[in-house]
Amino acid sequence: MHLELRGITKRFPGVVANDAVDLVVEPGQVHGLLGENGAGKSTLMNILYGLYRADEGEILVDGQPLELDGPGDAIAAGIGMVHQHFMLVPVFTVAENILLGVERTHQLGRLDRARSSREVRELAERSGLPVDPDAIVEDLAVGVQQRVEILKALYRDARLLILDEPTAVLTPQEADDLFEAIRGFTAEGRSVIFISHKLREHRAIADRISVLRRGRIVGTADPRTATEQELANLMVGRPVELVVDKPRAQPQDIVLDVTNLVVQDLAGTTLVDDVNFEVRRGEIVAVAGVEGNGQTPLVRALTGLETILSGDVTVSGVSVTGRTRKDVLRAGVGHVPEDRAHDGLVADFSVAENLVLNLWDAEPFAKHATLQFREIDAHAKRLVEAYDVRTPSTATPAGSLSGGNQQKLVVAREFDRPIDLLVASQPTRGVDVGSIEYIHRQLVAKRDQGTAVLLVSSELDEVLALADRVAVMFHGRLVGPFPMPVSKEAVGRMMAGADPDEVLSGEPR
Amino acid sequence: MTDRHEDDPAGDPAESGPVALSEAEVARQEIEAAKEREAAITHLEPGAGFGKRFVAAVTGTSVLVTILSFVAAIVIGGVIIALTEPAVREAFGYFFARPGDAFREAWDVVSAAYVALFRGSLGGRAQISETLVSATPLILTGLAVAVPLRAGLFNIGAEGQLIAGGMLAGLVGFSVTGLPLVVHLPLAAAAGIAGGWVYGWLPGVLKARTGAHEVISTIMLNNIARLVTAWMISTTLFRRPDRSDPISKSVEASAQFPRFVDGLRVNTSLLMALGLAVFVFWLVERSTRGFELNAVGLNARAARAAGMDPDRTVIRAMATGGALAGAAGAALILGLQHRLTIGFSAGLGFDGITVALLGRGRIGGTVAAGLLFGALRAGGRSMQAQTGTSLDLVLVIQALIIVFIAAPGLVRAIFRVKADDLATGQVAKGWGS
Amino acid sequence: MKTTRRMFAAAVVGALVLTACGDAPEEETPDAVEEPEATDEETEGDPAEEEPTEEPAEQTDFRGCLVTDQGGVDDQSFNQTAWEGMVRAEQELGITADVLESTSEADFEPNIQEFVTQGCDLIVTVGFLLGEATEAAAQANPDQNFAIVDYAYDADYDNLRELVFGTEEAAFLAGYAAAGTTESGIVGTYGGINIPPVTVFMDGFLAGVRYYNQENGTDVQVEGWDGSDGLFTGNFESQDDGRNFTDQLLQAGADIIMPVAGPVGLGTAAAIEDFGSGMIVWVDTDGYESTQYGALMLTSVMKNMDVAVFDSVQAAVDGNWEGGLVVGTLENEGVGLAPFHDFEDTVPQEVRDALDGLRQGIISGEISVDPADYS
Repeated sequence: MHLELRGITKRFPGVVANDAVDLVVEPGQVHGLLGENGAGKSTLMNILYGLYRADEGEILVDGQPLELDGPGDAIAAGIGMVHQHFMLVPVFTVAENILLGVERTHQLGRLDRARSSREVRELAERSGLPVDPDAIVEDLAVGVQQRVEILKALYRDARLLILDEPTAVLTPQEADDLFEAIRGFTAEGRSVIFISHKLREHRAIADRISVLRRGRIVGTADPRTATEQELANLMVGRPVELVVDKPRAQPQDIVLDVTNLVVQDLAGTTLVDDVNFEVRRGEIVAVAGVEGNGQTPLVRALTGLETILSGDVTVSGVSVTGRTRKDVLRAGVGHVPEDRAHDGLVADFSVAENLVLNLWDAEPFAKHATLQFREIDAHAKRLVEAYDVRTPSTATPAGSLSGGNQQKLVVAREFDRPIDLLVASQPTRGVDVGSIEYIHRQLVAKRDQGTAVLLVSSELDEVLALADRVAVMFHGRLVGPFPMPVSKEAVGRMMAGADPDEVLSGEPR
Repeated sequence: MTDRHEDDPAGDPAESGPVALSEAEVARQEIEAAKEREAAITHLEPGAGFGKRFVAAVTGTSVLVTILSFVAAIVIGGVIIALTEPAVREAFGYFFARPGDAFREAWDVVSAAYVALFRGSLGGRAQISETLVSATPLILTGLAVAVPLRAGLFNIGAEGQLIAGGMLAGLVGFSVTGLPLVVHLPLAAAAGIAGGWVYGWLPGVLKARTGAHEVISTIMLNNIARLVTAWMISTTLFRRPDRSDPISKSVEASAQFPRFVDGLRVNTSLLMALGLAVFVFWLVERSTRGFELNAVGLNARAARAAGMDPDRTVIRAMATGGALAGAAGAALILGLQHRLTIGFSAGLGFDGITVALLGRGRIGGTVAAGLLFGALRAGGRSMQAQTGTSLDLVLVIQALIIVFIAAPGLVRAIFRVKADDLATGQVAKGWGS
Repeated sequence: MKTTRRMFAAAVVGALVLTACGDAPEEETPDAVEEPEATDEETEGDPAEEEPTEEPAEQTDFRGCLVTDQGGVDDQSFNQTAWEGMVRAEQELGITADVLESTSEADFEPNIQEFVTQGCDLIVTVGFLLGEATEAAAQANPDQNFAIVDYAYDADYDNLRELVFGTEEAAFLAGYAAAGTTESGIVGTYGGINIPPVTVFMDGFLAGVRYYNQENGTDVQVEGWDGSDGLFTGNFESQDDGRNFTDQLLQAGADIIMPVAGPVGLGTAAAIEDFGSGMIVWVDTDGYESTQYGALMLTSVMKNMDVAVFDSVQAAVDGNWEGGLVVGTLENEGVGLAPFHDFEDTVPQEVRDALDGLRQGIISGEISVDPADYS
């Protein structure tokens, strides 16, 4: 499909979300749309999908103007969209979800399940997106659910597929599978609009990149020649430092000591399997690994959110095994949770309230069971200033800040307390480039103040950039930590389960 | 190399030339964007259940929408008054022959009813007294619903908690004798509050420990309270010794809330209600417990991650709600009725749900809504007496208010309130899925 | 979305246009314009409006006023029956009838006070719940006449009439008739709540059955009431409960059932329809006329509260007012047994013949209606 957007403008009260956007997508092309959160990518795509109506501008498909009165029109015109949040019926099967609205029926309207199932299976195989048509959607992994969404669009014969942040929910392996499938679509002559704020992915899959900033296209680039640095600068609007500049670590005494730690889920499956390691004051130990290999339960167990089945965790020589979350936090542990929206913030609480979320009943923020709003607000003003949280005021609900600033809020709260150990889990996930840069600097600064830092990240680049020692989790077991430098290839192989002795023997020490 | 649009304000960072977009400018833009979102976004965790979405929709409703809901309900109520009046219907029958008649008839009927409603609630000392009398238990049951609502819980059980509180307050009120007022009245009132506390604590524990949904358990507990009351009042423990009607003994004078003025029914239970409202305001809006309560209600996972105990907070919220409903029972029995009968609760606990919703779960709002509903009740009686408009109209208006508040999109559509366009879309979508 | 809204609006407007094409009344007839003032005085849903009758014989400026309990005037029970008596007085005696409905206990006092202030000539209150409020009002306003339905005081007041009913007398006759008619030898009953206004029906019924057994040497059993305890639904609302209780009684072999629980009894009728056989003894009103299950009604124990209210109004209008206790009995037809209607031929002749004698015996006091007097 040849798609052209001409002068698309969309205004919301008080803000121009898209400002005279021109965009051309050639048949068989993967067109990357790059921009920070809030740059207007989703608005533009919702216009293209018929969910919003543009205030100005026109959409041309194969040279013909297209009028969109809703997603139905877009689908009819061959445009399919996979949203960031899936639009699936959890209790329906894969085939039922895919055929929803275009059901295959016998006479009298009885569903023809066998035929539905067969058609979906064929489509899945042809498209390189294997999925069991009869599985119930809510039982499937997120990555597989995404395939169902894509198949839904393909089944409706989408000639242009919009993928909105498709890799945000995927493991690196799943992302690679997705890229493979995308190449298959373009080989058939379909076009893809690929939305992401991750530079690397654009370079890996896009044929052409358009960069959106503040609602405007600020540049287009050829991914083969453009460097990540150039793209980042274009996206943010100023030079960005991608490499973390850090002095050599000065490790001191042991703060976190984990011995024979075992965690199981309710069904008795072992999630963390006999893990031993320690983190010293003044060093960053980074844990790499493909997501789902036990990093999440490990962090939850260390920070008092998960029951420890056996083994021991001590912080500064004091055992925190079996203690409540509150005890662990007050024992000098800072935690930047991986799921900011769920665990890190109360979106409807103000910035000030979120900044005392885990100190709400401690002096000086509370006296005689009464909140001391003056103290709380003064504290908030100081932290907002110190940690460069961009907010209209300290009374603004945290949920209205950008993702990066929400994360800075969490970082400010956790870093500012007197802590000996900092556990940061996926601290830059869903965060714009400018904030990533900032958070990385803060982690190093915290290390240099003499805090023990445990960083868990599925972003290999992040791990390698920040770690003083690196460990890898695979199937609940932890290998390492090994002192840096360790090569990216070596860590990658250990993430896939390779024996560390073998891998590291070839490494230059 | 990157192509570049000529109007790109950023200059060419690849050559590390002068950066047009300064750091300060970026910060300013981020702040602007946050302001926009602050005005527009209703926050909900993805995958929030119906109850959460309902609570969020209610507590997230703006003051404007709340007032407009009330206005819309009054207007529709007026249409109903007009249409149920035979003379108006008759006049509409020949509408095209003489349209003025129809409108005059309708106007006369509706305005007469509403004037009576207004005069009956605020028209004089006695009327204001009646408004306050009706408002006292409504304020308390409203708070009984509002406090758990802030913790994300929907307390349908205020009715049962009110019954439990009233029964206990009454029991202490008539079976203990010989005490002075300063001892007996607080004792009886405390018994009522304790009865409601226990009756609210129970579904809280069931929710926290076993996951039993509070809506279901409180509905069931309402039934239990109602039936147990019916039985207990017939027992010799409660029943008047000289009569066989299911009416309890009368509360001793020493356990009755004294009236302010002879001849007016408004009594000191109003002071208890307002005092508790002030306490609850502190508890919910100013105390550390309230901080936990709100955090758990808005995001239980984040509350737990911050070191709070959501289970205990749920129990506390329900018990507090129960205690407030129990206080309503005490106010009713010790302040007004002075005896227990089957059905003495008269649905006040259920009205509390409407009051809390109209008050958007806020403490001040709930007190105001309680006063408003008290006025509607007192005025409704007078309207019935003077214009013959059925008392059920007041119930219709109450029900319409709930409908409009529960569906804020409807109000926005009717009145074309623009500002919250986006938020409505999100909430409405959430409801459908 | 928008289109549907427009279509809906068009349909509504269309409907309004179609219904609004009537002719205007002549400008000279002022009635249509005057009417709202007239109706303002009256009550909504006032049956008098719906069934306009011939002009009352003579207009008086007497106002009869009724205060209901929480049930309201459309409760299909005693509030409604009492109101019907008031309406009849409006039609036949030319008085003005008004009503105030209470929604809770808190309404009783102000509602009565409202009528006192408005200057009603007679204020009738309905039900034992209003007992204290009515007594207090009568004491405070010695020149105001009151009557209360279904409640008696220890003390008597000149301005307060207590309208109570010897329901057990009529229920006795029903019990006797049921015992004489049953084929299975088992009759059943159940109540709403175990309180005297309910159990007097069951006591009389039980006494009637026992008297029949004693007279005829039979052994007809009563299921559901033994003189002190029995079957009670616990409410006066749930027809499902009525259905369940009736199924239980039918399973036990009862073929005639007397539900004493207001509208719950309709569940009994539904259950008997499903079961295919059985008869009902209705209470309060003649169920043959007041329900849609006339074909199942053996008879009814009538508590003529409308008559009592009407008589009180008449006494006040005629100047024959007397306060104190007024008991509705078989003798003064305050209570009675309804005709057998469709079952005229089912009830044995000798039973029907015996009823008249029994009625006389009860009136004269020769026959006791207390079940404890029979074994």
